[in-house]
Amino acid sequence: MRKLKSFVGYTWALTALPLVLATFIGLNTWAKSLADITGVKISPWHSGGEVARVIRHDGFKTAINEPVFRGLIGERKRGFVQVKWTPDEGRRLPAMVDDSIDLDADGTTDFRVRLDTKTNEAQLDPYNPAVVGLIQVFDLGNERAIRVRLLNPHRGDTRQ
Amino acid sequence: MSREISARPRRRLGKAILVSLPFLLLSTMMLMGASAGSQGNTLFLVPFLVTFAFINVLFFMMMYTGKTDRYRAVFFITMAVGFVITFIANLLEVRGSMALSAANMVRGETPFCHMVIPMTLIPAALTRTIIFPGRILGGFADVATMFTLWIGASLALGRGFCSWGCFFGGLEDGFSRIRRKPVLRRIAEKWTYLPYAVLIVVVALAALSLSPTYCEWLCPFKTVTEFAAVTSFKVAVQTAMFVSLFIGLVVVLPVMTKKRTQCGLFCPMGAFQSLTNKVNAFEVRIDREKCNDCMRCVGVCPTYSIDKASVSKGVTRISCTKCGKCVDECPSGAVSYHVKGTPVTGRTGGARMLFLYPGFIFLAVFGSGMIQGALYRLLLLLTTGSMIK
Amino acid sequence: MEPLLLGLSNGTICLAYCAPVLVPFFLGEGAGTRRNIPLLLEFLLGRLIGYLVFAVLAWMLGLLLLPTLVWHQVIFGGAYLLLAILLVVYGFSNLKSRCSWESAPGRLKTLLLRWPAAVPLALGLLTGLNLCPPFLLAMTRAAATPGILHSVRFFVLFFVGTSIYFLPIPLVGAFSSLKSLQVVGRLACGIMGVYYSYLGIVMLHGGVGHL
Repeated sequence: MRKLKSFVGYTWALTALPLVLATFIGLNTWAKSLADITGVKISPWHSGGEVARVIRHDGFKTAINEPVFRGLIGERKRGFVQVKWTPDEGRRLPAMVDDSIDLDADGTTDFRVRLDTKTNEAQLDPYNPAVVGLIQVFDLGNERAIRVRLLNPHRGDTRQ
Repeated sequence: MSREISARPRRRLGKAILVSLPFLLLSTMMLMGASAGSQGNTLFLVPFLVTFAFINVLFFMMMYTGKTDRYRAVFFITMAVGFVITFIANLLEVRGSMALSAANMVRGETPFCHMVIPMTLIPAALTRTIIFPGRILGGFADVATMFTLWIGASLALGRGFCSWGCFFGGLEDGFSRIRRKPVLRRIAEKWTYLPYAVLIVVVALAALSLSPTYCEWLCPFKTVTEFAAVTSFKVAVQTAMFVSLFIGLVVVLPVMTKKRTQCGLFCPMGAFQSLTNKVNAFEVRIDREKCNDCMRCVGVCPTYSIDKASVSKGVTRISCTKCGKCVDECPSGAVSYHVKGTPVTGRTGGARMLFLYPGFIFLAVFGSGMIQGALYRLLLLLTTGSMIK
Repeated sequence: MEPLLLGLSNGTICLAYCAPVLVPFFLGEGAGTRRNIPLLLEFLLGRLIGYLVFAVLAWMLGLLLLPTLVWHQVIFGGAYLLLAILLVVYGFSNLKSRCSWESAPGRLKTLLLRWPAAVPLALGLLTGLNLCPPFLLAMTRAAATPGILHSVRFFVLFFVGTSIYFLPIPLVGAFSSLKSLQVVGRLACGIMGVYYSYLGIVMLHGGVGHL
């Protein structure tokens, strides 16, 4: 028994060096496999969520993301939606972006935003009671993005 | 007082060279592979050669003298300083500032640090998302790559990662060696449990808020890496906290106690990493037959991982980072690296070798880029007058 | 999720102070794991009843204070801050705390010991009624929720969070590092106190601004 334990112990210890070498040599492969097997993504609370729709305008496009409400278990009462404006190749965003956003493509404007792309100041007019207000404007170089606080319609009362 | 006779004989020069040769070959292979693509450039070649020589001289000295910690620490501290220089210089080059803006986070440009790992696990298990503003794959220090490195290190070294990998630990290790004698010698035992309490709280709050709490509020190392731009009262409070923690736990207390106080008394990642000691083949053991209960090992342990109770049982506490300081300090050769399942008494050189090879290879490969990067920046400074291009 | 996580981060305290009473009780029963499981469930039921009593009390407290909306944030912010400071002191000091069973009157104990079936339930009820700082903070949080159902839900989730640590009790041998758990739990409490201090200051600041 003692000899068996020693044998197992030494065998286990001998795997440490190949393990370290394999970790570094195959790092990119292992990392990709880990990402593929787990299927994890960056939390939408940090990434802004997945793009739901893209709307073309003259010279730029508006990407409206899926609203983010996901909690640890279930959904939270409050979340946000990210909207991003990207200019066409070789162009810049207009000095003032005036956009009416329909979050759920039901034909009704949920909020209107006027964004000064030079000063990065934005004014938000909510038309949906679930739209609480502007959280932040992000200057992403050529692009601009905003995050708008929302109340979760699936969590009951949308009054603030 | 009778002279204490070292129980560990010095290796003959020839034997030391022989044992170091495989390491020389391995390090050549690993470092060449890591530096592929930049070897034509003289500014990269000199740092590469210096780092390569540095690594192999240190390993040879470990083999020749039979001492572990003093040579490990030289590389460990150099790596930490190199990391800070390289990281900050790179930030200034790319971003123009150490401050991380909201836009950087939205674009997923935050490098993933291993300290976040414990906080990400519960949300990842329940929501299949990583609560960190980085990238899963692609870019510098992406999530998947850092996780892979951590898994490999944990399986091979256990909490040895904290002394043979973590680039933050090297800073404290350096500060803890400034004074010859400690000013503060005793610390209440309960504070050695604080890392586990911090771990429970940050993991719970991170899961609650779906945000990396430790990074936002407590990580002292933001002082020497990157931090959120101060744009609100909340961020100002956070900044004050992490700067205070850095000054207190990473600089002042290590100088005064000669211990790695952030690692031993605060770090939640260290507490989490302690659990990986259970799945690791190596440990540090005390041969009770040789031990004379002088307690010198207790005095020198930088992470409070040995105490009287553990010495009497012939073991270290679960927080042992396998740095080798107690092994080097023991006058009777009672403390040694040990392979689990094997007898504690008898020859211990084999176990030490079995640990040092993967340990130092990991340290060398992981840290060589940081040291080379720092040397490159210093050369840039000498040749162009600026560390950034 | 907050009450669940509040319970998780403070539950080690509940366990560590009551386990010295519970573990001998289970050992004394001497019937092994199979018998210990129903005993544990009975004990947990007693704790749940104690927590639900407090859920109702918290709701009543909230009713008293909620109508005065102007002072809502000031009162709750102040309460948070005070309790958080208490939590910090409790967590980082060496002050002793006793399990409620030890504080229970001798006559009650004698009566219960004549009725052994009620002992685990009574133990649970008494530990559930223990007014330790984490519990007081949970009560303050629950009092701020609207409606009795919210308060009950809050305490049920808090109960679940704290109860996780009791699950290994039937396997009595798992308690070799009880003292360590006690120390860790207490320190975790202290850290949570620092966090709640910040929340209290923010709430108080908001409330004072509205006055």
